[in-house]
Amino acid sequence: MNPISRRSLLAASGAAVISQSAPRLARAAGKPRVTVITQWSAGSDGAAITALGELFTKAGGDWQHNPVPGFTTDMMNKLRAQILSGDPPAVSQLKGPEIAAWSKIAPTVNLDADVAAAGYEKVVAPELIKLHKPFGHWISLPLQVYRINSIWISKKAADKVGVTALPKTWAEYNAIGEKMAKAGIQPVANGGTKWDNGMIWEIALSGISPAAYRKAVMELDAATLKGPEVLAAFEQTRKMSLWMDPNTASQHYSTFIPKFMKGDAGMLLMGGWVQGVYKKAGYQYSDYMTGPAPQDNGKPAFDLNADAFIFWQRKEPEFTAGQHLLAKLVMEKDTQKMYSGITGSLPVRTDMDLSDPTFSDAQREASASLAAAVKADQSVLSLAHNMAQPNQITAAMIDSLVEFVTDHSISPKKGQERLAEAVDNVR
Amino acid sequence: MKAARRSPGEVLPLLAIWVPVLVSILYVVGFTLYTVWIAFTPSTLLPEYGWVGLKNYVAILHTRNWNIAAANIVVYSVCFLALTTFLGLLLAVLLDQKLRGENVFRTIFLYPLAVSFVVTGVVWGWLLNPGIGIQKVVVGLGWTDFRFDWLVDRDRALYCIVLAGAWQASGFAMALFLAGLRSVDADLMKAAQIDGAGPLRTYRRVVLPTIWPIFIAVFVILLQFAIKTFDLAVALTGGGPGISTVLPSMVVYDFMFQRGLLGRGSAAAVLQLLMLVAVLVPYGVFRRWQTLKAARNA
Repeated sequence: MNPISRRSLLAASGAAVISQSAPRLARAAGKPRVTVITQWSAGSDGAAITALGELFTKAGGDWQHNPVPGFTTDMMNKLRAQILSGDPPAVSQLKGPEIAAWSKIAPTVNLDADVAAAGYEKVVAPELIKLHKPFGHWISLPLQVYRINSIWISKKAADKVGVTALPKTWAEYNAIGEKMAKAGIQPVANGGTKWDNGMIWEIALSGISPAAYRKAVMELDAATLKGPEVLAAFEQTRKMSLWMDPNTASQHYSTFIPKFMKGDAGMLLMGGWVQGVYKKAGYQYSDYMTGPAPQDNGKPAFDLNADAFIFWQRKEPEFTAGQHLLAKLVMEKDTQKMYSGITGSLPVRTDMDLSDPTFSDAQREASASLAAAVKADQSVLSLAHNMAQPNQITAAMIDSLVEFVTDHSISPKKGQERLAEAVDNVR
Repeated sequence: MKAARRSPGEVLPLLAIWVPVLVSILYVVGFTLYTVWIAFTPSTLLPEYGWVGLKNYVAILHTRNWNIAAANIVVYSVCFLALTTFLGLLLAVLLDQKLRGENVFRTIFLYPLAVSFVVTGVVWGWLLNPGIGIQKVVVGLGWTDFRFDWLVDRDRALYCIVLAGAWQASGFAMALFLAGLRSVDADLMKAAQIDGAGPLRTYRRVVLPTIWPIFIAVFVILLQFAIKTFDLAVALTGGGPGISTVLPSMVVYDFMFQRGLLGRGSAAAVLQLLMLVAVLVPYGVFRRWQTLKAARNA
């Protein structure tokens, strides 16, 4: 290499460095600003966060979103790296008990004043307050809610066996399942991912007794874990696992939606987000029936999944201003309406009027059931979606549940023992 | 000393060699030592620098996941090695027959190696899925009794990973074997022919024994492929059905990143490294013994 070309190379790289830092200098004007990390880059999630960014910009802020597409763990790895290097994002996605766990490793922003000013605490489900206000202070805010315990019945399959109403109890569910099996329809529609298998058991237990669910799954109470309600959930899960598609392997549940819509599979237990998936695949509201999953005690129950933002402490005043501005926006009715309208989720606020045409009947029903379940003290947190326990406990429990669902030689009694054992090992 | 005034032409090659070597040493050795250290600390979400002795190792060795993974890796490695070596050797011998269009075939057989493991896993996941893949097609053609459901069979799903892995790596084994076959002295082949040995006998008694060092090389390279298999299995079975096909690398990832237990994950990573060492150290000793023997004979 001759010296002249090397010199020009140096000059070029120098120019590149300077041109990159130029916008940074221009930004020091003091406009409220946030840097955001989430995994939401595509689909309705990507669209919703982009819309939130536009709202933030319109309110006078400077919005910088760095999506880390893929698994939540990839997003967390980036967050970990940034925290380690002393440069956390102003705001990041994080959910469930991980909020409390991560808040111990880096300082967070106290949002108590913002929440009090918005009168927000009165309109949020108590289970969610505990998660987002882990050590007595609000450090994070839920963004949207999904109901896990929703049932979806293929209209074609229902018509074939003459089913016109949703099953209200597990006994009714099983009766429909038997009818479908006799008619050559696979009663349970499912995917083969771990959370999918774990979620089936979770819905069974919360449908049998939300109180037992709270004690066994959320409080890891040893006696309840070994008690009759949990055993009943294992028995119900075994019944459903025999009605599942044996060929799912590790495929995502959405692979089998065409089969479900054709009427070859009958009933799907899945969170509300599946509605967005149906819509995107071109199916109509009339192609399926939906409502709450079976509930044996007759009162409304709500198995919660919620996405949230956690606010990381930064020294720069423009970040602090940006964080409080974003917090204010996220709590507003209009923002929540806009966000849930795009993703198909439910607003966090329990005092919303969803008569607007952006919402579907399914969203209205689920949202009303959240308020009703909170009143009946039957709102619980999802295990399979990392709401009930920190990740290491969740993973150990889900592993044992997945083994139970896929290995039909394990008896319900044995499955229950293995779950209790798995919990004891990580407690 | 001339070294003080070296021309750029002399310095550049040194830079080109030493900078990457130093960086690699820092990365490989440095981070390996760091991982070994973390495995002895109570680290969870972030590294912490306490000392917990062998606690992480004991905990990992007591999980079902690790025990299943350890058993799986033995079965997987043996099957993968046997199948890939067999296919690679077969392809190499066939290509060695001075065919027309050898280059085309060689490229085709080597091509799978250019595909990423994730892609291989996803595609084979579809092919092997009884509900959407080969079984469905054959049943649709009229053979309604046809069953090929290894992927959803707890005891056989592991062999699906072997199949996909062998598909990917046998072209690589073929290339190594082919190079070996080409290096065999033509006179040796001719002598065998003159002595009246058929092609099969020539390969079995003359050619293959002369290229046995290639076999060792193929075994060692494939074995370390096998031990670090991760993306292929994640994309193909996701460790399922249940956790019946988890491999050690998946346990490492699961504990480190999904469960946020850096200490335990590091312990699993160190155990995985020990598996590799258990394979490579005997190989190194063997090589050393060989050079010593060669030196003595010379």
